[in-house]
Amino acid sequence: MNKKIIFSILFITSVFCSKAQPSGSKAGWLGELKGGIRIQKAQKLYWENGFAVDFASPKIMDSRIHFGLSYVTSRLGSAMGTNAIKQDNFLFSPAYHFRHQKHLQPFTRLNLGYFHSDYEYAIFDVLPNKAFLLSVDAGLSYEFTFPLTVSLSAGYNVNNGTGSAGPGTLYPVFYQMSIYYTVLKK
Amino acid sequence: MTTKNKFFGILFIFISGFSACSKSPDINDETMLDGDKIFDSALYNPAKYLVSVGIENPTTAQKNTPVIIAAHGYSASTFEWDEFRSYCDVKGNILVSQVLLGGHGRTYEDFKNSSWEDWQEPIMTEYNALREKGYTNINFAGASTACPLVLDLIKKGKIGENGMKHIFLVDPIVVPSDKMLTLIGIAGPMLGYMETSNTPGEEGHYYHFRPQETLQQLLDLIQISRKDLQDGYNLPSGIRVKIYKSIKDPTADAVSAVLIYKGLKNSDGSNIDVEMIDSELHVVTRLTGRDNITQHDRDIQEHVFDDMYLLLTQE
Repeated sequence: MNKKIIFSILFITSVFCSKAQPSGSKAGWLGELKGGIRIQKAQKLYWENGFAVDFASPKIMDSRIHFGLSYVTSRLGSAMGTNAIKQDNFLFSPAYHFRHQKHLQPFTRLNLGYFHSDYEYAIFDVLPNKAFLLSVDAGLSYEFTFPLTVSLSAGYNVNNGTGSAGPGTLYPVFYQMSIYYTVLKK
Repeated sequence: MTTKNKFFGILFIFISGFSACSKSPDINDETMLDGDKIFDSALYNPAKYLVSVGIENPTTAQKNTPVIIAAHGYSASTFEWDEFRSYCDVKGNILVSQVLLGGHGRTYEDFKNSSWEDWQEPIMTEYNALREKGYTNINFAGASTACPLVLDLIKKGKIGENGMKHIFLVDPIVVPSDKMLTLIGIAGPMLGYMETSNTPGEEGHYYHFRPQETLQQLLDLIQISRKDLQDGYNLPSGIRVKIYKSIKDPTADAVSAVLIYKGLKNSDGSNIDVEMIDSELHVVTRLTGRDNITQHDRDIQEHVFDDMYLLLTQE
């Protein structure tokens, strides 16, 4: 099971790699498009891993604002072959990058999205398992001279589960590492 | 303000914050369990609370009577199972052994210096004492934190095959409702302790102040329990488990029941029993001392007691 997931990730990454070419002539608004993998750990809870894409344009605040889409899930983390709850996070994330023309860029990000957990048994249908995601995170992003970017951040979920409302396995503090391959760059 | 002054200003606030929080809480000895005048009744009169002490030489009939070890939750006391004892006294045919968890029911300092292994120890001590005296029908009822304590005993094989018949888990905690508990390792040393809002009826039976050290112990315990359940394990043969879980529990998140249900299986691999209860209370079986109890709450308590009694006496 683990091997299949790893091969899938490698395959997807290699597809990104094979398409990675500069596209300077066409990209009027398109500055940079990156795709890659994300590894997330909730404080005192699960590993949730998945995929992320990141986009920035010179026409939008001179590439200081980035827009991201991501999907992380415990299905690719703690719930692989265990009894951990299977849960999914879908996020849209606008971010502000400082020192945007440097290799090392501090950034801060707002994350909006949807959370869903699968309790698997009908008897638990009475429990809340969906939530609107609202979180902020901040960290550092390093863009290498070759087309790879690594970012590390720590964040806080505003609407975590409280027992009386919200999914119980939506925890407040999380840490992330994203590794992006530059698919397109003006 | 120069940069140097700013630095010392921030440092002063930081150190002040630490020193202010490291002070002991303002304990009222006359009203609070935390003080040095009110102790749990089981410490004065263990024979009234522990079957192993109360019945020196059990008869054959007593040895075959269902005896239930009832253990309370974090920061609580034997008080938490008083209503069940009263219920069983009226119904008869069941012996109740109310265990006081280690470190509990004593002073704030005693509580502060205790570990979760200390809390667990009296459960095992009473269980072993009952077995030694020849009791054949031993059962367990745990409220809140008592549940991960007994789950840990099962996981470690300290309660083996045919060692126990029924285990009742009332509002077990594996995931806390207040997720800020996950930050206690960072915030705890700065806070020192957490103050609770006990009702006057609860004040002498529940700690008013929760030392951050014990909250860290609680977090350690439920982390161990969660990870064990994540890996999964089976009950020894002959033991049946039933969970009663309040759906809107303000202390133990209801998802705790999901984790136990998924991770703990009967010896044959089948699912354990679980009942999700329409309640906003934590530990639905304890009503005494609470404000604003409704008929619905009383009905739930009676239903759970009846169900436990039926399961204990049907064999």
